[in-house]
Amino acid sequence: MGRKGRRLRIFLFPVFLIGIYAILLVFFPEKASVAMGRSGHIFLNLAVPLILVFALMTAVNLFLEPARVTRFLGKDAGLRGVVFSAAAGIISTGPIYAWYPLLKELRERGARISLLFIFLGNRAVKPLLIPVMITYFGWEYVLVLTLFTITASVAAGYLVGHLFKG
Amino acid sequence: MLKIAVTADGPNLDARVSHRFGTSPYMIFVDPETMTFEAKPNPRAANGSAAGIQLVVLAISKKVDAVLTGFCSPTALGYLSAHEMKVNTGVTGTVADAVEQYHIHIQQQQKGVNFKSDYSKRAAGRAAVVQALNNSANQFTALLPTLVGVVLLIGLFNAFLSTKLITAIFKGNPLLDTFKGAVFGSVFTGNPINSYIIGGQMLEHDISLFAVTAFIVSWVTVGIVQLPAEIAALGKKFALIRNSLYFILSIAIAITTVLVLGLTGEVNF
Repeated sequence: MGRKGRRLRIFLFPVFLIGIYAILLVFFPEKASVAMGRSGHIFLNLAVPLILVFALMTAVNLFLEPARVTRFLGKDAGLRGVVFSAAAGIISTGPIYAWYPLLKELRERGARISLLFIFLGNRAVKPLLIPVMITYFGWEYVLVLTLFTITASVAAGYLVGHLFKG
Repeated sequence: MLKIAVTADGPNLDARVSHRFGTSPYMIFVDPETMTFEAKPNPRAANGSAAGIQLVVLAISKKVDAVLTGFCSPTALGYLSAHEMKVNTGVTGTVADAVEQYHIHIQQQQKGVNFKSDYSKRAAGRAAVVQALNNSANQFTALLPTLVGVVLLIGLFNAFLSTKLITAIFKGNPLLDTFKGAVFGSVFTGNPINSYIIGGQMLEHDISLFAVTAFIVSWVTVGIVQLPAEIAALGKKFALIRNSLYFILSIAIAITTVLVLGLTGEVNF
């Protein structure tokens, strides 16, 4: 499938659902209206956080380059390597499979397994999406979860590095 | 020694420079002093999938100083620049001509003073902001359709499905529900923003925060769907250990997070 095909494919899911709404509006108008109201309410709640997400994305695109940080994955096995691996994971964007070729290359060039592990684990921390997360769960939850996620990924990285001796 | 990579339609110096970096059939590495070269085919040029990133990896592994091509996507440009390669786009003609012209340009630059006026600095700053906004718009465009679909689906669930269905799956046993949350998160994939929206809805249906947390952590860290790609890239042992360990960790993180919040009085059990 070409680039255009892939771009169109992401619209299949929402278009399919809009079609279902159209059918339900004919056969179950009352319940379909309730569903639309509920969805509209969620969209309204998301509007402000999404604007913040866009602003954060732009700031990251302007000032940070995750690919630059990944250069340190293979160079330093000490604390600096851990910090850079975690930071690269946190600021990395896009689907994980887009990063596999780069990680494969880094591994072939001698990057330590533990640092790759820490990088992948820290992808669970999404600073750009924090406004949305706080909207649903509150800042205390986000703070505690973020701290535990980073700690767990570093601990797991060391454990796996020991298993692989890398 | 300067090393230049040129995207090309053929495997020699007489080949034309390719119009697009990502779909270029060959990458030719040239030493401009001696004009000795090495041509490497792009295995993914035909189907286009991840072809650009393959060439980026190739250029990085060859420790290239400059890349000459027709058009280069912002993503590939970002990776190449991050590895301190100069990327020259809009290059046409044969590979040999392109390399010679670039070599002359570099020699002239080295002789003269590389002076940048305030005007050109401001123009570069504006271009960087426009580029950043374009990248954000692209990331947002990729994110929004699925997000809209998820929200529409939640609306349907709320209107047409009774809460009995959900409580039939999540029965209120914290440990078992946390495990189920981790299983759901591992199977589903996509932008994490969708997991937050679904997680928020799960909470509204009185599903425990343990289960919801395991769901949103495993959504990002465990990937059943992407497992074959991860195995291909990083090896079977690595991928299986990483996913298994993160499945267990998503449960551990969920339990610890909620217990700590409970101790601080932020949540009630």
